[in-house]
Amino acid sequence: MKKSRLFVWVLQLLLGVSTAYAAEPRLEADSLVDIREVEILGQRPMKEIGVQKTAFDSVILNEHIALSIADVLNFNSSIFVKHYGRATLSTASFRGTSPAHTQVLWNGMKINSPMLGMTDFSMIPACFIDEASLLHGASSVGTTGGGLGGAVLLATRPRTEEGLTLNYVQGVGSFETYDEYLRIGYGNHRWQLSTRVAYASSPNDYKYRNRDKMEYVYDDQMNIIGQYHPTERNRNGAYKDFHLLQEASVRLNNDDRLGLNLWYVGSNRELPLNTTSYADASRIENRQREHTLRSLLSWERMRRNHRLTAKGGYIFSELKYDHRVRMSDDADAVVSTMERSRNYTHTLFAQLQGEWSLGEKWLLTTDLNAYHHRITAKGKEVIGEQGPETLGYRGHRTEWSASATLRWRASRWFGVGLTLREEGYDEEFSPLIPALVADGDLLRNGTLRWRASLTRNYRYPTLNDLYFQPGGNPDLRPEEGWSYDLGIEFQTNKQRHIVAKGSLSWFDSHIDDWILWHPTAMGYYTPENVKKVHSYGLESALQLTARLGRAWQASLDASYAWTPSLNEGEPFSSADQSVGKQLPYQPKHTASAALRIGYRRWALHYKWSYYSKRYTLSSNGSMISGSLDAYSTSDLTLEKRLSLRWCGLSLKGTLHNLFDAEYTTVLSRPMPGLHGQLFLGITPKWGCKRKQ
Amino acid sequence: MKQMKNLLKISLWALLLGGTVACSSDEEPIPSPYATPNHALFVVNGGNFQSGNASLTLYDPAAKTSINEIFRKANGYALGDVAQSMTIHGNTGWIVVNNSGVIYAVDLATMLVKGRIEGLTSPRYICFVSNEKAYVSHMYSNQITIINPRTYAVTGSITCSNMEASTGSTEQMVIDGNYLYVSCWSYQKDILKIDTTTDKVVATLEVGIQPASLHIDRNHKLWTLCDGGWDGNPLGYEAPKLCRINPTTMTIEQEFTFTKGDYFAKVVMNEAKDTLYWIKGGIYALPVQSETLPTSPLITNPEAAFYTMTIDPHTKEIYAADAMDWTQQGIVYRYTPSGVLLDWFYVGVCPENFCWNY
Repeated sequence: MKKSRLFVWVLQLLLGVSTAYAAEPRLEADSLVDIREVEILGQRPMKEIGVQKTAFDSVILNEHIALSIADVLNFNSSIFVKHYGRATLSTASFRGTSPAHTQVLWNGMKINSPMLGMTDFSMIPACFIDEASLLHGASSVGTTGGGLGGAVLLATRPRTEEGLTLNYVQGVGSFETYDEYLRIGYGNHRWQLSTRVAYASSPNDYKYRNRDKMEYVYDDQMNIIGQYHPTERNRNGAYKDFHLLQEASVRLNNDDRLGLNLWYVGSNRELPLNTTSYADASRIENRQREHTLRSLLSWERMRRNHRLTAKGGYIFSELKYDHRVRMSDDADAVVSTMERSRNYTHTLFAQLQGEWSLGEKWLLTTDLNAYHHRITAKGKEVIGEQGPETLGYRGHRTEWSASATLRWRASRWFGVGLTLREEGYDEEFSPLIPALVADGDLLRNGTLRWRASLTRNYRYPTLNDLYFQPGGNPDLRPEEGWSYDLGIEFQTNKQRHIVAKGSLSWFDSHIDDWILWHPTAMGYYTPENVKKVHSYGLESALQLTARLGRAWQASLDASYAWTPSLNEGEPFSSADQSVGKQLPYQPKHTASAALRIGYRRWALHYKWSYYSKRYTLSSNGSMISGSLDAYSTSDLTLEKRLSLRWCGLSLKGTLHNLFDAEYTTVLSRPMPGLHGQLFLGITPKWGCKRKQ
Repeated sequence: MKQMKNLLKISLWALLLGGTVACSSDEEPIPSPYATPNHALFVVNGGNFQSGNASLTLYDPAAKTSINEIFRKANGYALGDVAQSMTIHGNTGWIVVNNSGVIYAVDLATMLVKGRIEGLTSPRYICFVSNEKAYVSHMYSNQITIINPRTYAVTGSITCSNMEASTGSTEQMVIDGNYLYVSCWSYQKDILKIDTTTDKVVATLEVGIQPASLHIDRNHKLWTLCDGGWDGNPLGYEAPKLCRINPTTMTIEQEFTFTKGDYFAKVVMNEAKDTLYWIKGGIYALPVQSETLPTSPLITNPEAAFYTMTIDPHTKEIYAADAMDWTQQGIVYRYTPSGVLLDWFYVGVCPENFCWNY
C-alpha cells in the first residue's frame, strides 16, 4: 500500500499534474456543463518550484470554435495582445517586452518564425490546443531560452475516451463569417487517433466610423458646406483559414509511448487597408498566403523515478505576400507589383529530455535541443545589370540549447531550483545563462506560499535582422536581459463550496541592446541595437470557483498587471525625449476577467479585457496621434446543451464587443463593433466510454 | 443560493463597468482655421510606414513659434500614412501623402482642406505647369500622373518606357521652359526630359545608379545626386556621384564622385540657385560654379543625425532635421548661413521634407 502511494506521488511529481491536467475536454455535449475542476490542494509539483505560471483550462480553450489563442490571451491573462484587426496579425508581449521576446512552444517545439522572431496568435485556433499556459519572465528559462518576456506553451494531448467519437460544430456569424470544426477520434487502451479539421472564412468587411477621414458636402460652386466622418467598411480584409491536425499516440508498454502530431495550416488572408488609405480597393490586391506543416514525432518513457523524452520535428512554411495595384480601372491595365515576397522556411528539430527523481527531495532535469533552419527569402524581381534578378537572401543556421536544472525540495518551507543553460547558433555561443528559482509555504496548512526567481537571458537576432536584403545588419549583437521576480500565492482549502486562489508578483527586468528597425534615406529599413529597457511592475491573478449544489456552478478568473516599461538607454542627443519614458505600444495597466456561470445544461460566459492608454511615440509626446485611448471589450456567450437519445447537441450564441466599443489597438487599424456568432455542435452517441 | 445571487450581482456590476470605457463621441468635428504667416515654413513629417501618423508642422520664423499637427488641428482628421512632400502653388498648399494615395489641397489662409485627389498609386511629388495642369511622380509605377488642380481630377498620364511598372520610380521634378525634368530613383538610372505641351518623353539620360534629387541652378543646369545603390542591389552598387547636366543637350557636363558607401540623406538648392547643399553626416555646401568638392562640412553636429534640410529663402538660414529614433517627434535645428547654431524646435515624427511659404 505504502509502495503504491509512493508511486502515485512520484508520478504526480514527474507529470506536474495539478493544474494542467485538471480539466477534461468538454466538446461532448451530453454531460453536465463543466465550469472548472476544483484543484486538490497539495504539494506543488517539483517541476514548478518557483515558477510563475498561468494555465488555461479546456473550458477557456473550447469556449467556441472561432476562438484563436490571441483571443484566449486577450481575455484570460494580463499580457498585451496587439491586434491589427479582426483575423489579422495578433502578437503577444509580456511585461513590456516586444512580441519577439515571447517564445512560443507547441508540444515542446518552438514555432516562432525564425525570420521575424514572433508568432501570429490569430493563426492558432484555440480548439486545436488542449493545454495552454504562460511562463512569466524568469520562469521561462527552465523551459526555453530567448523568452526575455516569457513563454507561451501550447500542447495537445491524447484523448482519454475509448471507441469512436465524433464532434462537429458549425458556426455562422456577422460579416458572413462561417466556421466549421470536426474532430474524429478513435482509441482503445493502446492506440489513440485524433483528427481535427477547422475552416473559417469571411469577407470580414465590418463597418466602422472612420475618424481619420472626412467627407465634404459641396455646393454648386464647389464650396464646402458640410463635413462628416464617413462610416466605412473594413476593406481588403477577407480571410479563409484551413487547419488540419492529425495525431496518433500508441502506448508500447506500461512505460513507453510514441506520439505523432501533424498540423497543417492553409491560409489565404487579405491584409486590410488602413484608415487613412484613399486607394481604390477594387484595384488592389494585398494578400498573404501561407502553407505551413508542423510535424513532431515523440517517444516518451516514464519509469518510477525517471522520465525520458526524445522528439524529432520538421516544420515547413511557405509564406507568400503580394501587394499589387492595377494602374487604372481598365481590365487590361498594367498591374504594378509594389511588394512581392516568397519565403520558404525548413526547420529540423531534435530534442532529448530527461528527468530523474533523486529520492523524494531532488529532481534533475536535462534538456538538449537543436533547430536547423534553412530559409529562402525572395523579394520582387528587379531588372538588374545581368537581367531580371530577385531580391532576397538565402540563409541557414543551426541553433542549439543545452540546459540542466536541479531542484531540491528541502522542506515544505523551502524548495529551490538552479538552471544552467548554454545556447548558441553556428559559431556564436551565449555566456552561461543561469536561473535560480525558489518557493515554499508561508503557512503550515499550505494556503499561502512565497516564490522567487532570478535569471539572466539572451535573445539572438533573427535571420531577417541579420540578413534581410536590403537592410539586414550582420553586426547586430544579441539582446541581453536580467530579471528577478518575487511573489506570493494563496489558495483556500477545506471549504465546501467556494475555492479561491490568487497570486501577486513583483518583477523587475533589464534588457540591453534591444533591436529596433528604423528607416533610412535609401528607402529601406535597417535594424540596430539601440535601446536599454527597464521594466518592472506587479502582476496579479485571482480565481474563484463555486459549486453550489448539483445545479449551479460559477467561476471567476481575473488578472491585473501594472507594467512600467521604460527606455533607459543613452539619449541620442540632448534633444532625445524618449529616455525614461514608457515604450510605445506597452500599456501600463492591463486587466481581464472571465466569469462563467453554469446551471444544469446552461452556461454563460462573460469575458472582459482592459488595456490602458498606449503611447505610439517613444517620447510619450502629446501629439494627437501620439497615444491611443484606453479601451475595454466584452464578449458574452450563452450555451445550451441538449442530450438526445442518439446524440448530444450544443447550441451557443456569442456576442463580441458587447458594448459596441469603438477602439483600435494599433494606430489606423480599426476593430469591429458589436457582432455575433451562432454555433451548433453535434456529438453522436456511439457508445464510447470515457477511460476511467 | 444567496452566494449565487451575490455572484450574479458582481457579474452585473462587471458588465456595467465593462461598458463604460472606450465610448466615443458621435459629434462631428468643427473646423478650426489657422492663418499661415506670409513667411512660414512647413515641415512635412512622414510618420511611420503603415501607422497613419504623418503630420504637418507650421513654423513662423519671425515669431519663432511652431504648431505641430496643424493639418489635423485645423481639419479634424489625420493627414495620412507617409506624407512625402508639400508644394505651394498660388495660395494653396498641396500635400502629397504617399501610402494613403492622396494629395490634399489646403487653403493657406485657413489651412482647411479645399479638395483632394485620391486613388493615386504611390505619389511622391507634385510639380505645377499652370493652374490647370500639374504632374505627380510615383514609386512602384512607370507612369507620371497628370492632374487638373482646379477640378482635383486626374486627366491623364505619361508612361515612361524606360522602366517597368513594378520597379518603376519617378521622383523629383523641375520645370524649365516647356520641359519637365524628372529623376528616376528607386532601381532606376535615368533623368527624363518631357515636353509639357505634348506630354511626351523627348529625351532620356542615363546618369548612374539611383538619381534621387533634381535641382536646376541659376545657369539652367540640372543637378542630380546618384546614391549609388547598396550592396546586393541587382541594379549594381557604385560610388555615389553628383552630376551637372546640360538640359538642352541632355549630357553630363561634370561629375563629382564620392566614396563607395557614402551615405547621403538629402540634397537641396538655395533660393538664389547658386549653391547646392547636402547632408553626408554633416552639411556641405557647393557653389554651382565650383570645380572641386568641399573638403570639410559647413555644419557638423555630433549630437544629431541630419535626415533632411532646407535654406530660408530670405535669411539664408539653414534648417536641418533629425528624426532621432524615428518613433518620437523629430527636431529641427536652425543655423546661421555660416553654420552657427541658433535654436531648435520639435516637429512631428520622421521629418521628411520642408516647404516655404514666402
